[in-house]
Amino acid sequence: MLTVVMRKLWVVSTMTFFGMAHADVTVIVLSASGNPVEDAVVVFYDGKTPASNPNAMGKIVQKNKMFNPKVTIVQTGTSINFPNEDSFRHHVYSFSPAKKFELKLYSGVAADPVLFNQAGLVTLGCNIHDSMVGYIYVVDTPFFAKTDDKGRAVIKLSDGQYSYQVLLPGVNKPVAEQKVKIEGATEVKVSIP
Amino acid sequence: MIKFKHIRSRIAFTFLSVVVAIQLAGLIPLKYALVKHANELAEEQINVGERVFVNLLQHNTQSLKQATQVLAADYAFRDAVASNDAETIESALENYQGRIHAQIAFYISNSEDLVIGTANSEKAMFDLQASEDAKQAILHNQNGTLQFDIVEGKPYQLITVPVKAPDVIGWIVMGFAVDGRLADQIKQLTHLDVSFLQKTREHEWQLMSGTGTNRLSNVLVKTVSDIYRQRLSLHKVDLQGQTYQLKIRSLHETKDEVLLVVLQGSVAPFTRDLNTLFQNMVVLTFVGVLIFAALIWYVSRKTTEPIAELVKNADEIAMGNYEKEIHVNSIDEVGYLGKALNSMREAVLQRTLRIQRLAFNDELTGLSNRLALTQGLSQSITRHAETRQSLSVIVINIHRFKPINKTLGRDFGDDLLRHVGQVLKQNVLSGEDVVARLDADEFAVMLQHTDQAKATKYAEKVNRIFDTPVNVQGQAIDVRIAMGIALYPEHGVSEEELLNHAETALHESKVKKADWIVYNTALEIDQSETLTLISDLKEAIQKDQLLLYIQPKIDVKTRKTLGGEALIRWVHPEKGMIFPDQFIPFAEQTGIISEITNWMLQRACQVLADYRSQGLYMTLAVNLSTRDLNNMELPQQIEALLKTHRLDAKALKLEITEGSLMQDPERAETVVRKLASMGLHLAIDDFGTGYSSLAYLRQLPVQELKIDRSFVMFMDKNASDASIVKSTIDLAHNLGLTVVAEGIENEEVLGQLSKLGCNEGQGYFIGKPMPEKDFSIWLERWESQNEIDIDIGDDLSFAINPLDGFNSPT
Repeated sequence: MLTVVMRKLWVVSTMTFFGMAHADVTVIVLSASGNPVEDAVVVFYDGKTPASNPNAMGKIVQKNKMFNPKVTIVQTGTSINFPNEDSFRHHVYSFSPAKKFELKLYSGVAADPVLFNQAGLVTLGCNIHDSMVGYIYVVDTPFFAKTDDKGRAVIKLSDGQYSYQVLLPGVNKPVAEQKVKIEGATEVKVSIP
Repeated sequence: MIKFKHIRSRIAFTFLSVVVAIQLAGLIPLKYALVKHANELAEEQINVGERVFVNLLQHNTQSLKQATQVLAADYAFRDAVASNDAETIESALENYQGRIHAQIAFYISNSEDLVIGTANSEKAMFDLQASEDAKQAILHNQNGTLQFDIVEGKPYQLITVPVKAPDVIGWIVMGFAVDGRLADQIKQLTHLDVSFLQKTREHEWQLMSGTGTNRLSNVLVKTVSDIYRQRLSLHKVDLQGQTYQLKIRSLHETKDEVLLVVLQGSVAPFTRDLNTLFQNMVVLTFVGVLIFAALIWYVSRKTTEPIAELVKNADEIAMGNYEKEIHVNSIDEVGYLGKALNSMREAVLQRTLRIQRLAFNDELTGLSNRLALTQGLSQSITRHAETRQSLSVIVINIHRFKPINKTLGRDFGDDLLRHVGQVLKQNVLSGEDVVARLDADEFAVMLQHTDQAKATKYAEKVNRIFDTPVNVQGQAIDVRIAMGIALYPEHGVSEEELLNHAETALHESKVKKADWIVYNTALEIDQSETLTLISDLKEAIQKDQLLLYIQPKIDVKTRKTLGGEALIRWVHPEKGMIFPDQFIPFAEQTGIISEITNWMLQRACQVLADYRSQGLYMTLAVNLSTRDLNNMELPQQIEALLKTHRLDAKALKLEITEGSLMQDPERAETVVRKLASMGLHLAIDDFGTGYSSLAYLRQLPVQELKIDRSFVMFMDKNASDASIVKSTIDLAHNLGLTVVAEGIENEEVLGQLSKLGCNEGQGYFIGKPMPEKDFSIWLERWESQNEIDIDIGDDLSFAINPLDGFNSPT
């Protein structure tokens, strides 16, 4: 929750920094049966704006044999810390091509944060605890959001031509990919097949 | 119904039938139950086997899966997979494949763009079908079911395990050959034979592996394919003479391919045990039946043995062994039967003894009877035949016994017989000799070891005893006996022959009035002649061979001829003249005497009629026999004759003997009275030889008494004879009877009789019997000799028959 707040603040500050006209674009992700899909990743590309804030820091906590948050979206160049808040040790790894890494058995905060500088999906696992799964979406665009429990993701975008992708955790390919022209506040509904 | 020779067989058969029936009734359902049970057991076994088989496979699958999961979870392996390090993946698979004894091992990435297999699985890896199968396997695996497949024509069990990082990034597929090893493993657990059969696109049904023998398996393939076609899962089938339960389970089934596992359980082991049980039951039953049979046999034997014993006893009684007592131990029905048999035996014994006594004893005298004598004679002959010794048979007859019996009473007669018997008995020569009463007054004595001399000595001795009068019932009586003697072996070798010959001799002795006569063959000739004569006699009457003889009768005082006694002679065509004593006795016995009397009466009447026509008024006396006196029709016949010849009744005289009256006194008296009423003149012949009392005679309508010639013949020399004659004459006259004397043989006697007042007389002195035609000649001579005028007009009624009857012409 705290992370989300931080990110919002970070987004607001960015937009404020550029001083452009922004509108809220709402994407609603629904399943084939019409139910809202939570934790779906919605990413917008305008084809010109690169990832900002290259030395940004992130944090994914291991607690109660879970990655928290389970789905994390970061821009390329972000470093993420993996603090272990459980009383036992974890062995966090990733075999994903976007970022292969391994944090051998540790407790507390690992020595160094891990830098994600290549866009792509990074699936996180724990070699000790098979049930632990976490996803990091590394994107090279500043326009992205995660659906809430109502399947809604709201992104402030200035008017223009965009393409967007909807990704689901654990699925390599995007479940929806579309071009869209944004003019003011827009609401996009995406049904996952 | 079966017929049994023994009761015990019946009992044994009945009970054994029941026992066998009961045993069969038990055994047959038992047999069916056992067979059914065996099948159920086999079915149960095969069902259990199937469950075990499934469990085993699941267990195998689980352990193989876990083993495979170790690889899938290996960090390095996952690292290799993540980094698409094909060589490392292959070597890892190969390593693992060896470790868990899999025949096939390959990895399929989640996106299906990477398939890596071990060297062994090289071909399979690129086989489209295999890849399809693998996908199927994955699907099935997620469902947790068993997965089999045919790869490269061989059956495998496929184990599929996901590789997670931590999401599923691919699959490891391990294939385990479905082979004999697996089959053996199953068999060890289930004790069932296991076969794996498959059908592929390329091949028809074939047996891939199995625990059964090859030969059996070949048959099995055919059977299973048939069964599979019918979609049956459980089947009972006969293979090679054994019954099997087959359980078929499909492991893998596609359009072209089928993999089946066949569990085959032989029913035999169950049947074998149950059969053994059944056989034991049969053996036990058999033994039981045998024991029961033995028991039944023993019991029924115990029951029927006493009966058999009694049957034996009854047989003995039937054979005439009454003496042996029947011992009875049992107190049951058989015991009663035994007792009944015993009392029957005793009763029979007593009766037999009595019958024997009756059969062999003469009750009157206590002597033996004819039967006993005959038997004794027969036995003695047998004995004597061996020792070549002689024996003699003497037959004794009492003279004039019948008249004695009649006159002095039957009691007296019986006592006399007893006395004679005693005398005979007391004088026998040895204890072995037998004295028997044969007939009324006839006795027989068998003397052992006696020749003619000894026999005649005995006869002499007995005869001497009867020389003196015998004292019976305080009364002295003169007994005269006649004896006939026959000797063994001279006169016969059989008892019949000896007795007959002795009888012949006896007869001769009676005829000749001898004391005894020893048999000789000459007698035999006479005897046989007599027999021939009897047969000829009837013919003689018809052929007129008989002649009428007349013995003249005169008035003693005036010597005038009164008439005569009619006598008979037989002129036999071969033998010549035959005297009446040679055929009259037999004629009397055979009844021909009636015809003879009839003939005599006719002839006499005719002669009388002839004389009358010549002017001679004579009387003729005809003798009547016993039979004639019993002939009720005689008076009518005589009346008819007299009428025919127009004769006066007084012309015909009838002579009867005392004895002839005695045979049937009532009947005789009736006939006599009838004749007398007809006016016929009746005379008592041979008076003095019988025992008839004058008192009795007085009752009869008799007019005349003829004194027997034995008294008359020697009265001139014997004073006592003379006095008898005198008193008889006096007595007769007192009774109003005319007296005729027979046997006058000289002038002196005739003179004496005249003085004594005798009325009439006949005898040789006067005239012998002569043919009737000679009578007139004699008459002429006699009349002239005595210078008597024949006064024909004399009172003929007083002319009494002066001559003797049949027996005394000589």
